[in-house]
Amino acid sequence: MDEILEARTLQPETTRPVLTANGVWFSYPDNPSVLKDIALEVMPGQRVGLIGPNGAGKTTLFLVICGMLKPSAGEISLLGRPVAFGKFNPQVALVFQNPDDQLFCPSVRDDVAFGLQNMGLPREEVEARVEEALSTVGVSRLADRPVHHLSEGEKRIVSIASVLAMRPELVMYDEPSANLDIRSRRRLIHLLQSSAETILVASHDLELVLEVCERVILIDEGRIVADGEPREIMGDEQLMEAHGQEKPHSLIPHQIPHH
Amino acid sequence: MKLAIDEYASLNSPFHRWDPRYKLVGLIILIFAFSFIRDLRLLLAMVLVTAAIYIISGLPARFILRWLRFPSFIILVIVLTLPFLSGEQVIASLGPLALRQEGLLAALLIAVRFACIVTVGITLLVGTTHLLNSIKAMRALGLPLIMADMALLTFRYLNELGQDLSLMLTSMRLRGFRQRSLSPAGLRTFAWLSGSLLVRSYERSEWVYRAMILRGYGQSSRPQGEYQARPRDALILGAIVLTAAALVAGDVLLGHNIAAILQ
Amino acid sequence: MHIPDGILPIQVTAAGYAATAAVTWYSLRKIKQKEDPRQDIPKASLMTAAFFVVSLIHIPIPPTSVHLVLNGLMGALLGYYAFPAILIGLFFQAVMFGHGGLTTLGVNAIIMGLPAIIATYIFRLRKIGNQESPRKNGVFGFLSGFVAIGLSVAMFVAILLTSLPADLNAVVEQAAIFALAIAHLPLMLIEGVITAFLVVFLRRVRPTMLDSL
Repeated sequence: MDEILEARTLQPETTRPVLTANGVWFSYPDNPSVLKDIALEVMPGQRVGLIGPNGAGKTTLFLVICGMLKPSAGEISLLGRPVAFGKFNPQVALVFQNPDDQLFCPSVRDDVAFGLQNMGLPREEVEARVEEALSTVGVSRLADRPVHHLSEGEKRIVSIASVLAMRPELVMYDEPSANLDIRSRRRLIHLLQSSAETILVASHDLELVLEVCERVILIDEGRIVADGEPREIMGDEQLMEAHGQEKPHSLIPHQIPHH
Repeated sequence: MKLAIDEYASLNSPFHRWDPRYKLVGLIILIFAFSFIRDLRLLLAMVLVTAAIYIISGLPARFILRWLRFPSFIILVIVLTLPFLSGEQVIASLGPLALRQEGLLAALLIAVRFACIVTVGITLLVGTTHLLNSIKAMRALGLPLIMADMALLTFRYLNELGQDLSLMLTSMRLRGFRQRSLSPAGLRTFAWLSGSLLVRSYERSEWVYRAMILRGYGQSSRPQGEYQARPRDALILGAIVLTAAALVAGDVLLGHNIAAILQ
Repeated sequence: MHIPDGILPIQVTAAGYAATAAVTWYSLRKIKQKEDPRQDIPKASLMTAAFFVVSLIHIPIPPTSVHLVLNGLMGALLGYYAFPAILIGLFFQAVMFGHGGLTTLGVNAIIMGLPAIIATYIFRLRKIGNQESPRKNGVFGFLSGFVAIGLSVAMFVAILLTSLPADLNAVVEQAAIFALAIAHLPLMLIEGVITAFLVVFLRRVRPTMLDSL
């Protein structure tokens, strides 16, 4: 039985951007200019989709935003403060492409508690937040399972719980619907739609982006090519195909209506 | 690679409910006491203690039979050859082979000690406790944090890798590889298979490291599971320690001599 | 090469635990001296898991098959983490498969782990002289694997034969040593060869792995 995903209340409105990036460049030692002159601003509560071909730099951008990688040039600030390289910041969270990379504790409960314990929270609060996170995503019944007994979809959902437990302001999702079955994918979409945090969703699943995001950024070869209304950008067939994408099926006007 | 060891760890016996830290201490004391025994007259006592522990734990017979059914190759070899190779007193001859008393008794001692230590060890460490909790108990008893972290991470990824290995072997077989072949090319294939697993693990570890840092690894000393010991836990430990002490004392008093039964 | 429970007298098993504790303490000290051990812990742990799984692969040597140990390679790749990694691997082998023993965990860690530490140094020797070729890596890889296993076998045989609770006359003992040594020679060669292939493979695919932790 699926538990009902709780709708969560919105944070109070502020006009300060959650994320600002200016002139950000990034290079790997063996791969120059993976990110070129990235500039963007994300306001609280926005749901932004990040689309682009493999190798465009989406994952790299996420790693730069959360301070795992240091930009070679440019500035990034989160909630008004510059991003500190390598520092623990529970206000920003990244959900990895591969949940096995993210769930490194042997049991579900341990994994969801991990971040909270490192935040120095007292035991009762840790337990309370673990329960809260698990029930928000609807997997309380998995709390005491060993992680290796979970299915792909369950692992994905648990990895989301393990970051949401820290109550971040910004959550970045890297290919969240990859390898999910239909039901899990629908549950994921519902979860993303009811999120109160600011979210960035990098995905090849264009239909998911259409359903969830009110803003889309198209990235190719490290540059932001387009930034704006999802239907406008994703409906522009020429633009999409020029950057290794396709117009999502639901935006294609049907000559012969079949649904 | 499914690990079936934890299947009975959620039952409910006095040993299941025993505080894992006390359990660990009791276990170590008892199995070392067992390994101390040399006097054959005490073997029966050892077997009785072992049987009692197993029965109280409520584990089904098939659980421990799985462990004892295929004893280590080395035990088999020793137990089967010692009776013919060691000692002076011959008690029976089967053709050219002479069955010697000392060797036979030594083999008996080894076999019984092995069976009892393994039974008690597995029952307490794995049969009545989730392996994970055993490791956490070690941490609480003073195992260095680095060791505990490594053990937990290793445990977590053993299963993933076991599955990766199965997939790779299947893929190899589908492309005609026979595991029976031993040749330079075959060895190289094994090397590449192993190498792939190692590289994958290495690469995955970079992501795991990021996942850990992003959630604050190394920030502060994480509080370990808080254990609440009850008087009953100390009592059970006391009983185990007394048993161990009795066995050891008995062995010393009886001469700590493997050939004692002959006198 | 794992000594099971029940054979060794308590003096040997206790000494084994004491020695293992000492070597582990020393290894951890060296690990903590590094700049940021946090980075290497996931690496060492996942590699431990990989080595564990690899040791489950069996290689056919007619009439039976053997399992790889690869303690030489562990020494080469893991550096100071090799000994703790081997200790953890042995623990899991004992509780998951009954391979090895609980009272003999300390002794087995010394048998497997000390040669791994020696292999670390042997493998580092490949840097002497200036050229750094696949062949040189392969040769030192072979040596690391071969020597590590050889030392393990030697320690295993020595401890086992001197600790049996029975008297073997000198002739039988010598014969046993001889037989065991001969029986393990193919294993030593195979470990050496596979370690060599592995080192060459890693150098091609992910050379940074060969700079030990």
